[in-house]
Amino acid sequence: MRLSPFWLVLLVLPPLVALAALPPFGQRMVILAGIYGLMGLGYQLVFGQLGALNLAQGALFGLGAYAAALTAPVLGPFALPAAILAAAIPAALVAGPLLRLQSHYFALATLALASLVNLLAVHAEGFTGGANGLAGFATSLPRGPVLLATVWICLIAGVLLYAWLFEGTTGKKAQLLREAPLLAATLGIDGAAWRFAAFVVGGALAGLAGACSAALSGVVSPEATGFSIMVLCLTLVVLGGSRHPMGAVVGAALAVGLPELLRDLQGAWLLAYAVATLAVVLWAPEGLAGLIDRLRGARRAPPIPPGLPTSVPPLPGAQRLTIDGVSKRFGGVQALDGVSLLVDRGEIVGLIGPNGSGKTTLLNVINGLEQVDEGTISLDDRRIEHLPAHAVSRAGIGRSFQALALAGDTKSADLARAVATGAAFLLLDEPAAGVSDHERRALPAFLANLRDAGRGVLIVDHDIELLSRTCDRLVCLDRGRVIASGSPAEVRADRQVRASFLGLDGIAA
Amino acid sequence: MAYALVALGFVLALNAAGAVNFAHGDLVVLGGAVAVFIGLSTGLPAVLLLPLVALAIGVVGILAARIAILPLASRPPEATFVATIALAAIIEQSLTIAMAGAPRTAPSLVGSGSFYIAGFVLGRQPLAIVVLGAVLVAAVWFLLERTQTGRRMRAVAADRYMARAVGIPVGRYVILSLALSGALAGVAGFLLGHQFLVAPTQGAGHMLKAYIAVALGGWGSVPGALVGALGIGLFETFVAARFGDAWASAALYICVLAVLALRPQGLFGEPVGRRA
Repeated sequence: MRLSPFWLVLLVLPPLVALAALPPFGQRMVILAGIYGLMGLGYQLVFGQLGALNLAQGALFGLGAYAAALTAPVLGPFALPAAILAAAIPAALVAGPLLRLQSHYFALATLALASLVNLLAVHAEGFTGGANGLAGFATSLPRGPVLLATVWICLIAGVLLYAWLFEGTTGKKAQLLREAPLLAATLGIDGAAWRFAAFVVGGALAGLAGACSAALSGVVSPEATGFSIMVLCLTLVVLGGSRHPMGAVVGAALAVGLPELLRDLQGAWLLAYAVATLAVVLWAPEGLAGLIDRLRGARRAPPIPPGLPTSVPPLPGAQRLTIDGVSKRFGGVQALDGVSLLVDRGEIVGLIGPNGSGKTTLLNVINGLEQVDEGTISLDDRRIEHLPAHAVSRAGIGRSFQALALAGDTKSADLARAVATGAAFLLLDEPAAGVSDHERRALPAFLANLRDAGRGVLIVDHDIELLSRTCDRLVCLDRGRVIASGSPAEVRADRQVRASFLGLDGIAA
Repeated sequence: MAYALVALGFVLALNAAGAVNFAHGDLVVLGGAVAVFIGLSTGLPAVLLLPLVALAIGVVGILAARIAILPLASRPPEATFVATIALAAIIEQSLTIAMAGAPRTAPSLVGSGSFYIAGFVLGRQPLAIVVLGAVLVAAVWFLLERTQTGRRMRAVAADRYMARAVGIPVGRYVILSLALSGALAGVAGFLLGHQFLVAPTQGAGHMLKAYIAVALGGWGSVPGALVGALGIGLFETFVAARFGDAWASAALYICVLAVLALRPQGLFGEPVGRRA
């Protein structure tokens, strides 16, 4: 387990102390903290790890609570799994269309959905008891030690699993998805599948939390589906730390503890809680758990940026990348017009052309960031032009970018990532632009390494001398068309190329 | 028409901040509450009360910009979302404490009573709201389209980096937009506060309606927000008259979800990746 002993002790202590020493009222508070912790932990998956503002978590909590209240008399303890399903199944049903939306529409859609659930809770009186809610139902688990143990065992298991999952590569992939979704796609990460899993698992945890809260209070009212629960969930996660494994637990402990500390101030604890959240957003975006880590000196060492990779082992996979008659239009601009070219394994092809001639667009359609209008792209006999970016990456095409998408990133790291996908073919967009002289000098050897390892490379750059020295062939684009192709010497001698790109028109060849 | 003022203020803040202001609904409620308090304690006539409320909430808008929007300009929009949600909770909780939970009625704009035009009964208050709303919308339109200040505000909304590059003090115009947005919210709160009651928990509902109006009308478009708000008002009135309030709200939310499912880019589309 990767959770530090400090946090592990803090995580396990509350339920043990509560069971051993606290009166029923204290136990009740510890149970409530555990319930909020479960809801928050689920929320961390969607909001913390993927950065999507989901405003339906409160409604899913409410669905779990109602499901538990309605099924507990029949199912007994099995009302808990029923409640998990009652939240997870609707989450899975709406996930498809919802998760395609951009940030602000996603927030709106989840808010509208939550409002619908709330309306249903208030007005479907025969089913939900209307505004008064349900009370006096047989609870799924007896209140007290059994419920406390159940809630905290689930929470501890969840936190440990979360810490273990997001510590390593999975955490890095989540960060990529959050901060640079396009880059993530070109590295073969299926963002849609990730978001779906996070949304459904997060919803399931909310359902479980809702069911436990129904068991704890013995009452379920429309408030369980309301906006205030949602705001509580959001603020506790932000306050505790939206990605820290202990963030939800710390936030939940405060949400339960603050009202007791500020009991003299009546309703003011919510106010204090909101003020604290705002302060955390402004001054400690990593949350209180992260802040505590910082004060403990447990800060992680900053990663050392890698140099260009020197070992690029030969790989199995497709032998030839074929681009045939590819066209792409943006509004009135014909960015690509019937482009055809081949790249073989162990070959470096340079793509040159004036600004706006379609070089980057060509790379974008090859690796699936843009869809072609016409033409085909294949790896051997397999057509790939209709595949999404992450599938193209998995089929064996890596990509480096002109502009860096991540804070603190370097061109070398970008190239290293593309190579590390193990792709048979690499599309490199201006690897020599904006790098140090040292890195630029290392580039030809790196490219030669790729060739020797049998990788195929399609490289775009403005440094014509560099390309002439390192490439086997050059292809020149102008206004979306291939105007010349052949050995570097042939292409550089070409009349049209000299006129349109090299700016040597009128100078004797 | 009061919805239109809410949505208009919302879209101004949205464009200036580059992110949804979740506290906007609570500014509206705050406007209603301020009208109640000042009205009760001073007994000022509505004509004087109205600008006072607008001014007060405008100042709150400036505070919101200073606290929750400008410091987060370089962070992802979700940071602003969360900050404004926290701000909304702060306003709501403060009001709950101040009002002791009891809903109040704001003073009316003009005396009650009604008169007849061509055989139709018209309440004076609804008519006054419509006239005042139309005047304010026209004034905002004039400001945005016909003055240098408005052009700069639009430039900041369209592309804050470019605006900065041509020498516009972006921060100042963001604050100005939020002040205007707050003033409109305050007026809307005053008007709604008389028609319905002022209760601290209404903020989320107002915000959601404005959010929906903007999403349906075209993200970031000022006329679109107005059309969206008027559309929602009419839709709710007719559906509510036929089937009841709950169905009206439910139908509205279902419509929004259907529109977003079918057209993820919004009803009228928006340039991809423009802002959030």
